[in-house]
Amino acid sequence: MKMFVCIKRVPDTSEADVKIDQTGKSVDSSRFSFGINDADNYAVEEAVLIKEARGGEIKFLCIGPKDSDVVIRMSLAKGGESAVRIEDPRINQKDPLQVAKVLAAAIKREQFDLVMTGCMSADDSNMSVGVALAEELGVSHAAMVKSVEILDGKIKVKRELEGGLTEVVEMSLPAVITIQTGINVPRYAPVRGIREAQKKELKVLKLEDLGLAEEEVSEAGSRVELMKLYIPVVASNAEMIQGTPDEKAEIMAVKMVKGGLL
Amino acid sequence: MNSEVRSFLEKHDLLGCVQCGRCTGGCPVTARTDLNVRRVIYESIDEKMLDKMSKLPDIWDCTTCSTCAVRCPKGLKPLEVLIGLREVLVESGMVQSTVRDALESVFQEGNPWKKPRATRLDWAEGLEVKIAEPGEKVENLIFVCCTVAYDPKLQDIARNLVKVLNKAGVDYGLVGDGETCCSSEVYNLGEAGLFEMMVEDNTELLKGFAADRMVTISPHCYSTFKNQYPLLKMEIVHYTHLISELLAEGKLALPKEVSKKVVFHDPCYLGKKNNVFEEPRFILKQVPGVEVLEFERKKERSLCCEGGGGKMWVETESRKERLAETRIKDARALGADVLAVACPFCILTLDDALKAKGFEEEMKVADILEILHEAAG
Repeated sequence: MKMFVCIKRVPDTSEADVKIDQTGKSVDSSRFSFGINDADNYAVEEAVLIKEARGGEIKFLCIGPKDSDVVIRMSLAKGGESAVRIEDPRINQKDPLQVAKVLAAAIKREQFDLVMTGCMSADDSNMSVGVALAEELGVSHAAMVKSVEILDGKIKVKRELEGGLTEVVEMSLPAVITIQTGINVPRYAPVRGIREAQKKELKVLKLEDLGLAEEEVSEAGSRVELMKLYIPVVASNAEMIQGTPDEKAEIMAVKMVKGGLL
Repeated sequence: MNSEVRSFLEKHDLLGCVQCGRCTGGCPVTARTDLNVRRVIYESIDEKMLDKMSKLPDIWDCTTCSTCAVRCPKGLKPLEVLIGLREVLVESGMVQSTVRDALESVFQEGNPWKKPRATRLDWAEGLEVKIAEPGEKVENLIFVCCTVAYDPKLQDIARNLVKVLNKAGVDYGLVGDGETCCSSEVYNLGEAGLFEMMVEDNTELLKGFAADRMVTISPHCYSTFKNQYPLLKMEIVHYTHLISELLAEGKLALPKEVSKKVVFHDPCYLGKKNNVFEEPRFILKQVPGVEVLEFERKKERSLCCEGGGGKMWVETESRKERLAETRIKDARALGADVLAVACPFCILTLDDALKAKGFEEEMKVADILEILHEAAG
């Protein structure tokens, strides 16, 4: 089983004070902490669990600057054999289709059975790279995967659907799956393991190494244009209803009928 | 027997244990958990048991308060055996997610609270503070502590210290936004590799300052820098040492009266681990109007609040009364208006316990610096 896992280093904006920068198209990231994208971390763990159960090989793929090496090394410490980091300022990372094209170019160079990505990135939240990657590779895919079972030449997964439904899908390999958080409990990479992982191969590639032309993956060739970023205006229009429980219920019901909710 | 297991046995001198039971007899958490450190030591002698022992939830109940070490007639440190077993689990990577996140945060951002390094000095905004410059002479290098720097409930401790030092005209400088976790809790959580790395990096960073000594706010930082940084050749003191000096030398005036009954809770990392008992009491006695009370369990016998030993990231499964709640009840029974502490973890656990018991109206938990700042006016 040869597996590729796509990972990304992203800012943690959960508690951060997010400010739009001067371009109006990006955010000031100088006061953020960074780490591996949450869903990608679960994809890493799932690959390691599969390898531990059935053997195989894991290669990590990452598009990003040298700062990303820390999350790559942490992933390698958990159980991968090698990694490729693609660093090229010409890549338009705002377009998930172009990101998928770059990742596919790196994967296509080798034989593979299973490709995993996180189901979405914490920064752009497009949820598109995984499925676009399957298209680029010409293989089946399943998104929002909550359980994985490897069969003979096939894979059986459970997908999380809207409304709490679960879909069971069987696909032939090779395939791409996007991993939903909560599928497992990502392990800790001890520092001694990370130091050991320094010995593992980490190749840094550019577009030319992947046989890609700039216009295929640059902003000029994108079908997506980021117009602007803005912080939504926080508005408050709450009305506290007073009275006994019966009175409150009556007032509430009248408001709902008048408002067209009932 | 392989060399790794031999080293575990030798490192902790397991065969030196005479199974007298003084450790378990004094262990405060046995009041609410099944932890039995005597059994852990006995069973850890068998090399085949180490993996199994490392998976026992009990090993995470230890708060590393050091009562077992203080009581051991053979001079052993039973708590270190528990930390050693945690280390076995950490090396496998299979620790609970809260522990994982705290350790990853130290590795990546230099603090266990998943906070950006760039916001480490936000607490000082609007204050007149001095930041030490590497190579420039400073008498007192101030190490603030991750928990104090980032927790909004605790940032006043650092602000109060700075205000008091400014008032007393003390020559000081903060380590600044380069300050990185002392890794006391990294050690206690069993991440020996990360601890070694942080000791190396911090030693390099701190040696760059031309400081006579370093003053820590947290007893955990104090104890760690003092006892576990062999190459950091710098005097390490807790802030209660510095404040005691200022008061004894008449450099800090306390003109305002604070009419309160105050009982001091000895933090384990100041008291039991480092025998600092008198300085906090001396400071409180200098505050006009303060009546200093004492717990029955004080100094070496002080009851642990369960804040250390990595317990900020590991919840004990027991639903029995928390030791911090016992402490709060004891303080109330004494008629204290204020339960004074000198440790950020103690504040967090005891303040939670105060709220859980519903005693907020009649009593408060406060750092000594809060009382001091009030008295300094």
